[in-house]
Amino acid sequence: MRGCFAQWTICAALACACLTAGEVTVQDLLEDEDVAADWLNYHGGYSGHRHSLLDQIDRSNVGSLRLAWAFQERISEKFEVTPLVHDGIMYITVPPGDVYALDAETGARLWRYSRRMPPKLIACCGLVNRGLAILGGRLFMATLDAYAIALDRKTGRLLWETKLIDFSLGYSGTHAPLVVKDLVMVGTAGGEYGIRGFIDAFDVETGERRWRFYTIPGPGEFGHDTWAGDSWKTGGASVWITPSYDPALNLVYWGVGNPGPDWNGDVRLGDNLFSDSVVALDADTGKRKWHFQFTPHDVHDWDATQVMVLLDKEYRGRTRKLLVTANRNGFIYLLDRETGEFLRATQFVKQTWAVGISEEGRPIRRPGMEPSAEGVEVYPTVAGGTNWMSPAYSPDTGLLYVSCREGSSTYYKGETEYTPGTRYWGSMFVNEPTMHNWYGAVRAFDPVTAELKWEHRLFRPAWAGLASTAGKLVFAGTSDGFFKALDSDSGDELWRINLGAGVQASPIAFEVGGRQMIAVAAGGGLFVFSLP
Amino acid sequence: MWHPRFLALLLGCPLVLAAARTHETNPMRSAEDFEEGKRLYRINCGVCHGMEGRTGRGARLARRSYVRGNTDAELFDLIESGIPGTDMPGLWLEEDAIWKILLFVRTFAETANEACEAGPGDASAGRMVFETKGSCLACHTVGQSGGRLGPDMTYAGATYSADQLRKALLDPASDIANRYRTVRLVTAGGERVEGARLNENAYHIFVMDRSEEIRSFRKAELKSLEQPSESLMPAYGELLSEADLDNLVAYLCTLSGTAKEDTQ
Repeated sequence: MRGCFAQWTICAALACACLTAGEVTVQDLLEDEDVAADWLNYHGGYSGHRHSLLDQIDRSNVGSLRLAWAFQERISEKFEVTPLVHDGIMYITVPPGDVYALDAETGARLWRYSRRMPPKLIACCGLVNRGLAILGGRLFMATLDAYAIALDRKTGRLLWETKLIDFSLGYSGTHAPLVVKDLVMVGTAGGEYGIRGFIDAFDVETGERRWRFYTIPGPGEFGHDTWAGDSWKTGGASVWITPSYDPALNLVYWGVGNPGPDWNGDVRLGDNLFSDSVVALDADTGKRKWHFQFTPHDVHDWDATQVMVLLDKEYRGRTRKLLVTANRNGFIYLLDRETGEFLRATQFVKQTWAVGISEEGRPIRRPGMEPSAEGVEVYPTVAGGTNWMSPAYSPDTGLLYVSCREGSSTYYKGETEYTPGTRYWGSMFVNEPTMHNWYGAVRAFDPVTAELKWEHRLFRPAWAGLASTAGKLVFAGTSDGFFKALDSDSGDELWRINLGAGVQASPIAFEVGGRQMIAVAAGGGLFVFSLP
Repeated sequence: MWHPRFLALLLGCPLVLAAARTHETNPMRSAEDFEEGKRLYRINCGVCHGMEGRTGRGARLARRSYVRGNTDAELFDLIESGIPGTDMPGLWLEEDAIWKILLFVRTFAETANEACEAGPGDASAGRMVFETKGSCLACHTVGQSGGRLGPDMTYAGATYSADQLRKALLDPASDIANRYRTVRLVTAGGERVEGARLNENAYHIFVMDRSEEIRSFRKAELKSLEQPSESLMPAYGELLSEADLDNLVAYLCTLSGTAKEDTQ
């Protein structure tokens, strides 16, 4: 008992010392990519690079990387969190609705917020949460019961909560919110339940809603006529990955999910805007400036919720503001992020559904590749050529790193009826046995030309994201339980450890006490590594 | 957004509270109940068990009896609570909905035409073939005895149709579960090893060899590593007479895991 008391006293003292450190400002968020020690945004910065300037761990010493500490909880769900780190404190979400503050140097628990959840949460693909946003004294979270909430970052106390919508209709919040200036933005997951997706922006102080953007246009709005009949009311187009943001253009780039029902498009004839699209929204008003749809009238469940990576690079003789994204449909796209102009699309995994991409950026479909009652085998798999796990972009190498998924699925089409809060899929799919044609790869591409520079083959397709560092390393997780460091120039494996469970999260790098740390979640644990 | 491996996690969430059962037998009977059950089955169960209960990675439902229970109450409880330690999750549906699903599932056995009909063979003669001439016990377990290199046959009659059993005997490579796939390798020292693939990752492969030893090998250190599509089991069409095959199938059809001799 005495020991316990002493432990808590030390913890409390530690908490007080650490939690009174400086608060995150709007300027800090703008400079996140240039400040090496902290990790203040899901992507490690607004541009979606997931790159750290830290170079203490490099190619010469990464072989001696060892576990610094681990966090474990009773997690029966996938642990997909990207931690935030600020001033020596790490903030994580733990499914289904907990938030922890941890001492980033030792893993000691400082406080815990536990959200009381309704018994029947609805989420298609696991009761997951991918993380938080931070500003000032507040942390922000989207919850599985479809709320946006703010917590006091020093205590974990609930400061405000605002309901997005009735979760029992199939809506949920799973992604780490985005803070831009005085707004916190949250989109709704639930694309498999006949929702009508939207994105909300709330005042960071009060939780009052400032704007809403529907990812499926209503009557009279641009794009409404791309949905047959009333299908727009139940068309999905969810949002479940944190967007990127360009402060100079004041545009937020949201990837939008699949149309529903997923595998039977008969009731939703038309292009189904803005499903499977990137929409560029004015951060202050939520007004759409442009959009680009990767897969019009998708019938393979190829959400466009992959990370939008923002780069300024020379393209055809002049420096352009670019957006590059490896899409689930098997192509890497290059767009002008000021205008949305389509510049290039290049196949990056085996695909059999499209002959190619037209000059306007529309796929030229191969006949007979739509789902059918008998089943049709199509590459890539229903999980896509890549998925939500983060890519990384290293300004040092100039390369874009993508976790690629090779393989096929057999796609089936069937009848489906909409019932609120239940799955609205339009049949289902059966994957080919994983023995013969499924594998994964970390691939490095020139982001402008999409030229493949190297490949590091993985035993199975991975559900783990990547992070690159100035130490010329790329950190990657695998489905067979390994976490590894690759040479960012060559893809050669320099270090690995088995974490005992498949990695289903994206890593980060941060610094605390003068030491660089690498963190990644796997199984029910969060593992943090440093040099001895 | 969906991916199949996560369905179990979703539906198996420990927070989910399923309906309590208030009946011992299925109260649902109407055509409307059946249609609703069919719809619910296809949404909730079909991904793993197949639209008609015949395909997918879940247990085959199109058969005459089930290993884990056969009464309405037992099957209701299985659907409601799932099977711990497996990918079978519980369903968080109302009681009526689960009964409706069961109403539909029950029709699989009637329509499947899959029952393990013994056919012309003699089961007791088949048992002799299984235990002697066929040397089946060298690799397969029935009850408490037998080998572990091949699948457990204790429930063969409740699991497979006669046609499936015959096909497995004649063409064993036609459908091999991952756990029993053949591995052939040569170590750095020149040792040749053949066995069943237990597991594998990027760097290692784990094999149960012919003597049922579990062995681990570093892939990078092997002289050769093959995973041929053929089975470790011989094709019995060339080894047994037609009468022996009939008898063997008849015997396997009797194995339901319930006979005293099967489990002792």
